[in-house]
Amino acid sequence: MPTGGSITALVAGLWLVNVILDTTGQLAFKAAASDPAAGDGFARWLHMASRPWLWTGIACYVLEFLAWIAFLSLLPLSQAILLGSINIVAVMVAGRVLFGEKLTSLRVAGILLVTLGVVIVGVGG
Amino acid sequence: MKRGWFYLIGFLLLMGFDSIGAISFKYAGMHALPVQANAAWLLRLFGKPWIYGAVIGYVGAFFTWMTLLKHAPIGPAFAASHLELVSVMLLSVWLFNEPLTLAHVLGAVAIIAGIVCLGFAESREHVAELTDDSTRADS
Repeated sequence: MPTGGSITALVAGLWLVNVILDTTGQLAFKAAASDPAAGDGFARWLHMASRPWLWTGIACYVLEFLAWIAFLSLLPLSQAILLGSINIVAVMVAGRVLFGEKLTSLRVAGILLVTLGVVIVGVGG
Repeated sequence: MKRGWFYLIGFLLLMGFDSIGAISFKYAGMHALPVQANAAWLLRLFGKPWIYGAVIGYVGAFFTWMTLLKHAPIGPAFAASHLELVSVMLLSVWLFNEPLTLAHVLGAVAIIAGIVCLGFAESREHVAELTDDSTRADS
């Protein structure tokens, strides 16, 4: 195997699908877990199971599971796992848009650094 | 203090499950090549034991993550959960003989620096929120 895997159209497509599914899944789990009406313990799980958010999250995770395996089998693991960290950026930006979570200058710096790292790994191979 | 132990054990557990998951994923994918969008690929995938290791990692990470999310805001908790990057990179050098290229090391340093920034951003806001709460309690 060469030092870095080459980014083909298939690899890039799987990467994009993975980011979208992961972000949607994370936000759905956040919506399920932060429901103030959910209560505690076993009742909390029953409440979450009776609403669509938990199941949306699980559906995204199942599809992401397959997309991620396909992605990983085409690239070295150490490279693939670094490229996958773009999910951090996607979830934070989506959290800001949908849940009004704060985006301070330190967070913007963090987002830019993570993106820079992903670009270095993606371009440098 | 109790909250500190809860986070430490929780995130270490998450890192462990995520590492088991990532490595099983890689083995599962390697043994099912070539990648195809059909039943034959799924059969190759589920016919080998590796995928079940990935399921264990996934399910373990899921319950650990849901428990952590109940207390932590999504962004910073998500960032902390990605410290598995380091463990998985080191393990893939060892298990898969992957070379640590300059691009990978530089990229990893930038990503981890970004994660540290996000962690600091969170702890500052957490202090601000605590101050807000005590002000409210006093008034």
